[in-house]
Amino acid sequence: MINTRRIIRIASAALLWSSATIGLATAQEITVWTLNFSNQQANEAMNKIASEFEAANPGTKVTIVTRGTDDHKTALRVAAGSDKGPDIYFSWAGLGLGGEYVKAGLSLPLDKYYTEYKWADGLVPSAVSFADLYPGGKHGVPYTFKGEALYYSKAAFEKAGITEEPKTYEELLAAAEKLKAAGIPAIAFGGKVNWHVMRLMDVILESKCGVEKHDQLMKMELKWSEEACATESFAEMDKWAKNYILTPFMGIDNNQAFNLFVAGRAAMMLEGDWLVGTLTSNNANLDDYSIFPFPTGTDRLYGFAEYYYVSTKSQHPDIAAKFLDYYLSTEVQQANLGQFSTTSVNKNVKYENLPEISEKWLKIFNDYGQVYMNGDQAFPLDVTTEYFRVINEVVSGNIPPEEAAKQLQTFIDSRAG
Amino acid sequence: MTSAALEAATDIGETRRRADPVLVGLWIALVLVALIWIAPFVFMIFTSLKTNEAVMATGAFHPPPEFAWQNYSAAWERGRFDTTFWNSAIIAAVKVPLGLIVSAMGAYALARMQIPWGKAMLVVVLFGTMIPFQVMLAPLFTLVNGFGLIDTYPGVILPYIAFGVPYQVFILHSFFKNVPKELSEAALIDGASHFTIFRRIFLPISIPALAALFILDFVATWNEFAMALVLLQNQNMWTLPLGLMAFQGQFSNDYGQLNAAIVMTVLPATIVYLMFQRYFVSGLTSGAVKE
Amino acid sequence: MQLKRSLEDARFQGAVLLGPAVLIYCVFALYPLFDVVVMSFQRWNGLDPERAFAGLDNYRFIFTSDPVFWIALKNTVIWTVMCLIFPPLLGLLLALGLNQHLFGRGVLRAVYYLPVIIASIAVATMWRWMYDPFFGLFSQIMTNLGMASSIPDWLGDRTIALYSVFVAHLWHSVGFSMVLFLAGLQSVSQTLVEAARIDGAGRWGLFRHVTLPALRPTVTVVLVLSVINSLKAFDIVYGLTGGGPAQSTQMLALWAFTQAMQIFDYGRGGAISVVLLLITCAIVVPYLRWTQRQEEAAR
Repeated sequence: MINTRRIIRIASAALLWSSATIGLATAQEITVWTLNFSNQQANEAMNKIASEFEAANPGTKVTIVTRGTDDHKTALRVAAGSDKGPDIYFSWAGLGLGGEYVKAGLSLPLDKYYTEYKWADGLVPSAVSFADLYPGGKHGVPYTFKGEALYYSKAAFEKAGITEEPKTYEELLAAAEKLKAAGIPAIAFGGKVNWHVMRLMDVILESKCGVEKHDQLMKMELKWSEEACATESFAEMDKWAKNYILTPFMGIDNNQAFNLFVAGRAAMMLEGDWLVGTLTSNNANLDDYSIFPFPTGTDRLYGFAEYYYVSTKSQHPDIAAKFLDYYLSTEVQQANLGQFSTTSVNKNVKYENLPEISEKWLKIFNDYGQVYMNGDQAFPLDVTTEYFRVINEVVSGNIPPEEAAKQLQTFIDSRAG
Repeated sequence: MTSAALEAATDIGETRRRADPVLVGLWIALVLVALIWIAPFVFMIFTSLKTNEAVMATGAFHPPPEFAWQNYSAAWERGRFDTTFWNSAIIAAVKVPLGLIVSAMGAYALARMQIPWGKAMLVVVLFGTMIPFQVMLAPLFTLVNGFGLIDTYPGVILPYIAFGVPYQVFILHSFFKNVPKELSEAALIDGASHFTIFRRIFLPISIPALAALFILDFVATWNEFAMALVLLQNQNMWTLPLGLMAFQGQFSNDYGQLNAAIVMTVLPATIVYLMFQRYFVSGLTSGAVKE
Repeated sequence: MQLKRSLEDARFQGAVLLGPAVLIYCVFALYPLFDVVVMSFQRWNGLDPERAFAGLDNYRFIFTSDPVFWIALKNTVIWTVMCLIFPPLLGLLLALGLNQHLFGRGVLRAVYYLPVIIASIAVATMWRWMYDPFFGLFSQIMTNLGMASSIPDWLGDRTIALYSVFVAHLWHSVGFSMVLFLAGLQSVSQTLVEAARIDGAGRWGLFRHVTLPALRPTVTVVLVLSVINSLKAFDIVYGLTGGGPAQSTQMLALWAFTQAMQIFDYGRGGAISVVLLLITCAIVVPYLRWTQRQEEAAR
């Protein structure tokens, strides 16, 4: 057996040598922390853009670091306050997510770059509006802008005798009934990922409460237990779960729900514009499907924005801004059209030869001027967790709708603030 | 029962023949259960060799209609396995033996030497096994960052050793305590230092335990994710589990590649197991204890 | 003269032997642990440079206003009891069986151990696919057997979800106990075994009077580690259900993690962790003392 002194020598040598692997930072190096997107093309496109930028700006180095969704959130949170974080980071723009970093002073206001690069002129207004969400200046630039609507299988609708896309909530319920009568489950959800079923709650809230009350409920300015429309919305969720959602759904995730949808086991899915890319990469025939916005009766689109923020700890904010400008430029956006999102955040991009379903998305984006966000982006994080829980309890048939509203309100009231 | 009748009929010398029916029955049971046990693996390997369409179209245990070897090469690239394999290998090769030696020395000291507050120390060490370290990630990051060790091998190895010490010391302490006192006392009287006793007597005796711990610790280190996620930010320093994140996009559906990646991750740990499991053969150490 | 020198030497030797372990452990494990305890009395979201003092607020919240804490506690207790019984028992049986000279026992040992090698997240991914109520393995088998209509929602039905997760955990962890028991079985003295056989001991007598006593330290180790690991159960629940449906499979360790690393309320996460630590101590420490007393009595 080796004697202890030799062990110590070997160990310290190993430690010294491995310390030497601390890389030397090059002069103008920036790191971008973002998600690993399902659409592999998006990841590859991002890397390509980074290389192109490096080539056009010698002496710079752009490293794109991707992680899984939750892992990205963890790593970012743990590193954000220290000197070890990224220069640019991805986040959803809503209060519960991107907003937290802004509030903690970790997002660099980009006003001077907005002026220098004229971003406000070249970007789609609804996409860039999220930069103004927070006081203290303009925070972040849009990475993508996403809308969510109801996808449906044309064959299923035909079989059930539905000839027109529903324009009101009542018509939607009637269509769901027809599907049920034809033996087709109306819609598929993955209950395991809480935010999937939550989408249905969000759109029903918009339908039942209207614009103002919906917003006030999400800002917790109104009490859920006192507003009739809140309890009504939970009751609707109960109705959908009992009659129209493909069961069992609580134990499967959104991917499994998607598999069921393309296998023809359900007629609809409430999904975002990225699903077009997912359908394509799963070799589904895009002509078999179409979309219509969830008929809420308001003139807002259900959607959210994903942003790139510049960290206040960045050593090279100018390079970071320049890189973002490169990403947002018309040539880059045109060249990578469809990789990141169906539509570009740059409004000067030209769309040609789009599949029919993408044309429909374009029209939707142009029709709607305003957006209401997904609940998990509007609420602070702990309220979101409770929101998920009561929604799940209702759709599992465990608690009655009034109870759900009450429990949510109790939780909101008990927060120290 | 057949065995009872045989027992009655035969005498001492026929022990081997008497045990046979039971052993055969045992063997059959073990093999049957093993087949069920290994089913998920079969499923995993089959899926790794199917294209995505085949995954959806065929049953789980249906052999792949054609072998999609490209899943492996695609997975290797997508998960940046060349880098992550290397990092994981280095970290494991340094951490596992080093951690075991550190723990074994500590366990020996606590079990066989008069250490002031030795018993209390053992309990404090055991404490370390009780907290789910996932909640310690933020303080750990701050600590390692304070040492300037983020994105370095020592920055990961030292916490790994720290979290390995508790259960290793605990297990080895219990093994060492059961070594008869006469063995070490004789050597002490002869003037041997504790180092020598440790090296010459205790280590050889505990080879089965050490082998078992080596395997378990290698696997734990090889698969560790949460600490690595937080302590290694530079992609070039990432370990294998971090590389697997490339297959976990929020809407990701590529099961073929994911399973190929998992198979490739599992292979080294399997090899380590096969290398070390022969130390479980009895006879290697029999007679050393409790004569 | 020689005695005095070896005494001083002993202290130095003790320091060298114990030093590295204690040092690394205290710095990199104990200190963060201590920090977590401190955090349980603070409010912090990970981003603010200051950590506000919150007294007992976090504890008060989790005990009185947290809708999930008691569910998590109940599940943790059920889970721990199951983990104390099944994996060690199965591990022991497998170790005993595979310690015999059987044909291909090396292969069989490898098969039973193999699941331990896979990372928990991978195990969770596999089993989630197998539990898919439409396309998954078990559902397919049931459909082939003509029982399609009674396919349960393995992971979505709250009455069975926890047990479905436990089965996956069992598959994943039995090899761990098996390996430890196999190592322990090697220290059973062969001469004692022969002596007992000559005295006419049957299989069961052999087990009770020779094997089991020799295994006592291993049993302690396996049970203690099983308790501790089960209380920390995390990866597999996270991967299979995330604590759902509607937090019905939530466990204390996972809930602590959720509070700290997903909701980013480190104070509450710390408080739940401290409660978990206290529970673990309350179970493990008395048990250890009891076994220590037993061992001393047996000498």
